[in-house]
Amino acid sequence: MDAKTTQPLGEESARGEAFAFTGTWQEFLPIALTNLLLTIVTLGIYRFWAKARERQYLWSRTRMIDDHLEWTGTGKEMFLGFLMVFLALIPVICLIFLASYLFTGNTLAKILGGLLMLAVYGGLFYMTGVASLRALRYRLSRSYWHGIRGGSDDGGWRYGLEYMWRTLAMFFSLFLATPWAQTRLWNARFNKMSFGQHRFHAEADAQGLMKRWLIIYAIIIGAFVVFFAAAASMNGVRAPSGGGAALALLAIGMFIVLYIGVPLALLAYYAAYYRRVAETTGIAGLRFRFHARTMDWLLLLLGHFGLIIITLGVGALFIGYRNYSFAVRHLDLEGDVDIARLTQSSTRAPTDAEGLADAFDIGAI
Amino acid sequence: MERGWLYDGTSAVRHEVEVAGAGESLIVRYADGDSSEVPRAKLFHVDGRGDFEVFGHVGVDGWRLGVPKAASATLGPILPPRRRYGRWIDRIGLWKAVAGAVAVSAALIFVATRFPAWVAPFVPKSWEAGFGAPIMAGLEGRFCNTAQGRAALSKLTAALTPRAGELDVRVVDIGIVNAAALPGDHILIFEELLTRADGPEELAGVLAHEIAHIENRHVTAAMVRQLTFGLFVSLVGGGTGANLETFLQSRYSRGAESEADEDAIRALQRARISPLGAAAFFAKVGREEARMGALGRGLSYISTHPAPLERERRFRASAEAGTAYKPPLDPEEWRALQRICRDDPARR
Repeated sequence: MDAKTTQPLGEESARGEAFAFTGTWQEFLPIALTNLLLTIVTLGIYRFWAKARERQYLWSRTRMIDDHLEWTGTGKEMFLGFLMVFLALIPVICLIFLASYLFTGNTLAKILGGLLMLAVYGGLFYMTGVASLRALRYRLSRSYWHGIRGGSDDGGWRYGLEYMWRTLAMFFSLFLATPWAQTRLWNARFNKMSFGQHRFHAEADAQGLMKRWLIIYAIIIGAFVVFFAAAASMNGVRAPSGGGAALALLAIGMFIVLYIGVPLALLAYYAAYYRRVAETTGIAGLRFRFHARTMDWLLLLLGHFGLIIITLGVGALFIGYRNYSFAVRHLDLEGDVDIARLTQSSTRAPTDAEGLADAFDIGAI
Repeated sequence: MERGWLYDGTSAVRHEVEVAGAGESLIVRYADGDSSEVPRAKLFHVDGRGDFEVFGHVGVDGWRLGVPKAASATLGPILPPRRRYGRWIDRIGLWKAVAGAVAVSAALIFVATRFPAWVAPFVPKSWEAGFGAPIMAGLEGRFCNTAQGRAALSKLTAALTPRAGELDVRVVDIGIVNAAALPGDHILIFEELLTRADGPEELAGVLAHEIAHIENRHVTAAMVRQLTFGLFVSLVGGGTGANLETFLQSRYSRGAESEADEDAIRALQRARISPLGAAAFFAKVGREEARMGALGRGLSYISTHPAPLERERRFRASAEAGTAYKPPLDPEEWRALQRICRDDPARR
């Protein structure tokens, strides 16, 4: 139709070229403040509408290639999704009550109570996995670009099982399998998703992640080894005075190393994780890139911290805004998109919104 | 005729279009001459994007029409209004909606705080017992019992209420200065409270207070509150079921506390037990609170009740100069009660 139909992005696409965030805090502030006001006076019920309004703004200020995104999710549907899950959870709570009542009975009742408890918590574990896929599906189905939306026809029931066994494997490997489990679950989620008629394809692996993950173990083990070695050597010298004080200093030093070193190592891991999953995820002729390095993440978090302190807490209203714009500013696409051939998604638009994910307090990514 | 753009919702292609009004409809004309008519009722406002206002079409997924902002002069009456806070709020205006919400919320909070007290008298005692039973079962093995100690406790209870026979008052071997009334007419006195009390009058004040909680069905109200709003809160927050810990934390309302204190003062007067003992007890608790700060461990009694010094004043003021008070227990009985855990043969 016109020259814009195919948009070559080239291999050397510069940072922030495919995506740009055009919002400003001055525009967002009235939205955040009225959201807060309405949420308070409605005893929290407005929070669903507040979320929708916030996303409408953030999406509309996100330019992808040549046009802005659009969020079409509504507060009403998120509220109804929440109500659905709320009602579904009432019998679950009753079962937990029943189980704890059985624990007061004889041995047989105790065994039954234990089995019931196991079944209930196993079920909730499974539903956590189901919920994370459904949250992603919902968000894509309400995200439009050029009048086209995404989605999935997968209900997440199989994904729930995969989530369960991979998470269990993570636990039983003393978390050594974390990079493996997390990247495989990312693939499992995104390979079920589509935008327009195109399927996403994700083939993330733990390449380059394992080293950063092992650093966390190294810090913990190293701190303990140094502490005990030093404590033992001090014992050998038998310093008559000041030995206790030195030991205390050493212990404080160890805690500083653990409490600052481990979170930093974790941050370094997640920086690498998001870069890896982005560059191994694509759709049609496009491949994602995520450029945020550990230092960028650190500055983001320190920025959150400083903002909240300087504004005496009011800045907390901007955490979501800052996280979102951070993601958009570091996201990029490589490859070509054939707009003339991009057609509307045939997936059903889900009606459960994020009720389940909301109940389990999990995000979509 | 205004120049706009259109995504038709079937493909991602952006069409340059011309938009014009015709009565209650909008006419959208494509570059190739085709045109379509959209009734005003089918249009909804999506967003402002650059120099354009963007509209959607009810029932057509992804249909988006961009109309220049400057076009509102000619197309204004046909275009639907902006959406901002949500349909209801947009209709009545933000400040009216806030005022309305404040009124409704205040009414709800009022009902929510009064509701448990309203229903409490209608809850059958047998239901209540069912909720107390698991808590009592969980304490099995920690109850203290000696013949003399029990007799002394019964005597003290009987002095405070004519319905002592319906109450199950027990001492529990737990080191906190506290007492609790549980669903099912159980009253628990924790051992530390006994050993810290300087005489039976001090215990009598606390016991009379707990008896008043049961007789006024404050316990039932607390239970109702926990099973309705408490459950609501724990569902939203993802907590688990009730146990003794949360029961102790679930506060009665301030009104209920004052009522229990007033009834306790009356019960002490009827029994001719000096309220100065209870006053001394609260003074002690107040001093410990001041010394240890609000974080003082083992003094949970103070955190679930009104300021102890205010209560001391109230009990002290109720003492009448002319009344001949008598000790509710003789020294031997009091000693037996204080030692009910240490002398319990089953606990050694």
